[in-house]
Amino acid sequence: MNQKDMMQEQELLELLKDYPVPEAQAGFYDQALVQAAHQGARRNRNRWLLTGFGSAIAAGLAIWVITAMLMTTPQVPDVDPAIPGVTIALEQEQTVRLVFASAMALDSATLTVSLPEGIELAGFPGQREITWETSLEEGKNLLPLTLIALTPAGGELLARLEHKDRNRTFRLLVEVS
Amino acid sequence: MTDSDQSHVFERVVRPHFDRLYRLAWRLTGSKAEAEDLFQELLIKAFGLLHELVKIEEPGSWLCRVMYNLFVDQHRRFVRQRMHLVDEGHLPGEGLAGIAGDLDPVAYSERVDTFRLLDAALQQLSEDHRIVVLLHDTEGYTLIEIQEITGAPIGTIKSRLHRARARLRQILADDGTFS
Repeated sequence: MNQKDMMQEQELLELLKDYPVPEAQAGFYDQALVQAAHQGARRNRNRWLLTGFGSAIAAGLAIWVITAMLMTTPQVPDVDPAIPGVTIALEQEQTVRLVFASAMALDSATLTVSLPEGIELAGFPGQREITWETSLEEGKNLLPLTLIALTPAGGELLARLEHKDRNRTFRLLVEVS
Repeated sequence: MTDSDQSHVFERVVRPHFDRLYRLAWRLTGSKAEAEDLFQELLIKAFGLLHELVKIEEPGSWLCRVMYNLFVDQHRRFVRQRMHLVDEGHLPGEGLAGIAGDLDPVAYSERVDTFRLLDAALQQLSEDHRIVVLLHDTEGYTLIEIQEITGAPIGTIKSRLHRARARLRQILADDGTFS
């Protein structure tokens, strides 16, 4: 970096340091707190489901139905002789929709999606593991996952549901065409 | 715990961090309306995780990280879907109302103009570069703190910062802001 660049860098840093941001409007914090208290618990319980069903309306690629989500306590992934699979196109966002059928409503369940190398979840670039806290309603709960294949390798996607000391892991084979 | 108790506990934990979080929301979104939405969204999510929040030693850092993830997870995708509406609602320089008013009118006007040019230059950066330079050079976050918030490796953050500054210097030199 030459002398001129250094002077410009210094000028830039001073400018950035002073770059203003307005304060919140009077009363905004108090209103936000009230809203959080009113909506927090209910919205936390419902957000995932709303998102799931909303996105499900859009055109998707595949539906993978998982039935009888019993929340038994296997500590290792289920051994399923017929692991469901899906094929997605390289470098194109495509939605895989998972359906979890729960025998009962579950609050504060944790859902962790583990992705194979070269597969990303839209909105989570570079992350191989994404965890949500969510709730399940009795009956069918839909979870759309928008996947992007960055390489043609494909692999196994794991969706792990945990509730208290119980957990269950589901597998999905992702192939890239 | 009653609802009232929960509200009081929640407020006690989160209120000390409000100014910092609001500023972060502004830096991430670049507009008042979107900053307020993101801030509100964070509080709603955090309230639902109160049992977890009260156990955290540094709730401020945790809240910043959750806010960033919310921004990436929901806000950025929303913005992408509504690009034309975002342009409509986001006017460069919207944050300039925060300039201290102790300058004489001419100096004040020049200062506003300079920040408008800086604002326009920042809009030309990629989102990742803009966020890093604003968090580090404007808000004073350390590289480690930015790593904790964004999850990006330190090397990547340094590279983004270097490139963002170089690009800003170039833009501001080309438009005559820098002599």
